[in-house]
Amino acid sequence: MTGVDEVKLAARAGRGDTEAFGALIELHEAMARRVAYAILEDQEDADDAAQDGFLSAWKAIARYDPSKAFRPWLMQIVVNAARDLRRRRRVRSADPLDSVSPASKDDPARLAGDLDLGERLRTALATLPERQRLAVVMFDAEGYAQAEIAALLGIPEGTVKSDVFHGRRALRRVLGTVKEEYDE
Amino acid sequence: MNEHSPFDSAPDAELGVALREALAMPFGAAFVNRVRARLNQSRRRNWDEELAGWFWQGLVAASLVTVLAGWGLNAISPLADETDATATSIASQLLDGTTPGASVLLASMTSTDAAP
Repeated sequence: MTGVDEVKLAARAGRGDTEAFGALIELHEAMARRVAYAILEDQEDADDAAQDGFLSAWKAIARYDPSKAFRPWLMQIVVNAARDLRRRRRVRSADPLDSVSPASKDDPARLAGDLDLGERLRTALATLPERQRLAVVMFDAEGYAQAEIAALLGIPEGTVKSDVFHGRRALRRVLGTVKEEYDE
Repeated sequence: MNEHSPFDSAPDAELGVALREALAMPFGAAFVNRVRARLNQSRRRNWDEELAGWFWQGLVAASLVTVLAGWGLNAISPLADETDATATSIASQLLDGTTPGASVLLASMTSTDAAP
């Protein structure tokens, strides 16, 4: 699906066409849920936040500027929805971090020792600050440009570069550990 | 695995694939259906909210129309003129000195009631 199609779908959705907006949901549900998960670290919460984001986007679709890319506009709304939900559920979302010991926070690879790669990466992600998690997920996994991430998170581009660097270094260590295990 | 450095400014494809798999969420179709259902619900609710938002304006407009209609009917109705004319003529007959006054009228009624 090209960007032009997205803009056409968004224009139709802006005129009240729910089918067009449904097509946009299908196009972006996976990314929206992954980004929401990177913030909330819980699948149910991520689904709730992604849903809230889509519903907010539907309400605001008439204000979408077709001269700009649709995907960052939508992701901005999803990120805001996830952050709102995290604020509402702050006590719950603090639990996973509390369960990680201070020593293991320094070494995500060691913490993730006995888990499969997906679980290891999720565990390693949970040890990173939220901004680093978002930066590395949006840059490496979702393909956003650093300037787009900076605009989306409201931070300088240099900070995004730094966050991607630190986040990537921690996650690379996990991949390195897995590689060593396969080599042995 | 390639030797991608954390310093690279290009996306790390290998890490990206691993992250997308690690963060992949199940039941994508169910999620889409759930959001579509909520979308349709919120659309219906929006209509209800829209109508509810017009409630007070509607009530004021209806009251205004009722008052204006009443005033208009009253102004153009011939019956209203007749009623006004009758009331005026009775009052003038009772109050001027040439016709029997209210006291005579009341006295005659009292005497009629008192008769066996």
